[in-house]
Amino acid sequence: MMPEQEIVTKEKQQVQGTESTRPGRYYVPDVDICEYPDKLMLWADMPGVSEKNVEVMLKDSTLTLTGTVSPETYNNLSPVYTEYNVGNYFRQFALNEDIDESRIQARMRNGVLEVELPKREHAKPRKIEVRTA
Amino acid sequence: MALIRFDAFDPLSNLLALQQELERFIRNPAFNLGPSGYGAYPPINIFEDREGTVIISEIPGLDPSKLEISGAGRTVTIHGERKREEVNATGYHRRERPFGEFSRSIQLPNDLDMAQATAKYENGVLTLKIPKVEAARPRQITVNAAS
Repeated sequence: MMPEQEIVTKEKQQVQGTESTRPGRYYVPDVDICEYPDKLMLWADMPGVSEKNVEVMLKDSTLTLTGTVSPETYNNLSPVYTEYNVGNYFRQFALNEDIDESRIQARMRNGVLEVELPKREHAKPRKIEVRTA
Repeated sequence: MALIRFDAFDPLSNLLALQQELERFIRNPAFNLGPSGYGAYPPINIFEDREGTVIISEIPGLDPSKLEISGAGRTVTIHGERKREEVNATGYHRRERPFGEFSRSIQLPNDLDMAQATAKYENGVLTLKIPKVEAARPRQITVNAAS
C-alpha cells in the first residue's frame, strides 16, 4: 500500500492538437486504467457531465471519450472568484489489448465515467499445465 | 460586474461566453478566501446572484453520504473523502485521479444566512447556495409624495 498523500487540486489541461469546429475549450479528463486478467477497466473524471451527454467509441483500436457540459447551470450567476474553468472533455487512447467491442459497457456515476473493456477470449492469459514426462 | 446572460437559442457560443466570463475572475486577488486558497481540494468557483452566494465545486465520484458541509459565521467547510473504485487489479496503466480525505474552509465576504443554505450534489458537482441575511437584501423603498 502506498501512503495516502494529501489531496491537491491539479490545473485542468486543455486538449492540444486537434481543434474542434465548435467554439469553447475541451479539457483532458483525469483517468485511471486498471488491468484485470479478463478485462481493462477505465475511470474518467468528468464532473458536470450527465449520462446523456457522454460518448464512448471504439474504432480501429482507438478508444474515444467525449463528455459535454451544459452551461445552463450558470444562468444568472455572476462570478466573483474562480479557480477552474468549465468545458467539455475529450480523450483518446490507442488500445494494444485485443478488446471485444461487442461487450464494452459504460456507466456514468456522480461525474465519473466507468468503462469496462472485456478482452477477447484468445487474449486472456491462460495457465499452462506442466506435466511430468 | 456583468451578469452572465445566455441566449437560449445558441448553446454552443454560450459555453465560450461562460468560459470567458469565468476566466476574467480566475483567482481574483480582490477576493479574500481565508485559510485555504487555490490548490486546496476541492477546487471552487464562487458566484453571486440576487439571493446570495453560490459556491460550485467539482468533486466527481463522491458518495454523497460522505460529504459534510458545515457553516459558521462567514466560514463554510466542505469535508469528504474520495475512494478508489478498483480492487485487486493485476496492473495499472494510468493513475491520475486524486483520492483521499479532504477538508476545505472558505471565508465569505458577506453576512450570510447559513440556516437557509441548501446543497445539491449532481453529476459530481456540488452546488451550495447560501442566501444573504434578511438585513442585507436589497429592498424597494417606496417614495411617498409630500402632501
